[in-house]
Amino acid sequence: MSPSNLIDVRGPRFAATITTLVLASALLTQSIWLLLAQTVVFAIGAGLGPHRSPYGLLFRKLVKARLAPPTEFEDLKPPQFAQLVGLLFSVVALIGAVLDVPVIFAGAVSAALAAAFLNSVFGYCLGCEMYLLIKRVTHHSNSIRAFVAR
Amino acid sequence: MKAKSEIGQSPLVKIVDSLGEQATLVQFSSAFCSPCRATRALLTDIAATNPGITHVEIDAEKELALVRTLHIRSTPTTVILDSDGREVGRAVGAPKREQVLHALAILQ
Repeated sequence: MSPSNLIDVRGPRFAATITTLVLASALLTQSIWLLLAQTVVFAIGAGLGPHRSPYGLLFRKLVKARLAPPTEFEDLKPPQFAQLVGLLFSVVALIGAVLDVPVIFAGAVSAALAAAFLNSVFGYCLGCEMYLLIKRVTHHSNSIRAFVAR
Repeated sequence: MKAKSEIGQSPLVKIVDSLGEQATLVQFSSAFCSPCRATRALLTDIAATNPGITHVEIDAEKELALVRTLHIRSTPTTVILDSDGREVGRAVGAPKREQVLHALAILQ
């Protein structure tokens, strides 16, 4: 794991705070445009990395210089995974809005909002909790026999 | 020789081979997990400064059979084994140094 893959842990926390505010506003105002903007942010973060997303750039250009030097770093991959999860939820929400099913819109935005809120306030790590569970469900292995065979 | 190297890749063999005289800290990690880094640093340090205690890190994603068998649900999960390789405790999430040291102290 090269050091160049490491980013200031405060970056993703800052981004999660903005995301929380944007998603909460989208939910309260039922605004599809706010959600669309957030979806684009998620897509850039998931595709190019959270440090290249608009919130990541905002953190580096405006916020970081005003803070103490970073003391904690994390790998890019965990926050990138979280951006992907956010993207999936917001795409589902957009589909709900396009199909005019408010329940899907509200449900999916709420799910993304909850994840962003937990991340910004408690530093909740979506990848830690969900990634292995998803792997466990989607990848079948013949349990303990896999060892014996090896 | 081929068979031997294949056996050497098994996570169970890896754990058994590196069982500590007092305890073994088996850490399950995954790629999308930031606290796994901090946990690795902590457990490596504890193993380095406490003779008889070893640290083994397992990539949970690659060892799903073992993950299912041990009911590991999230990363990092640290399973503490005694000198015979029996599980005596586990920590889900990033453990604090005092928590690990306390669990190890009970073993002695």
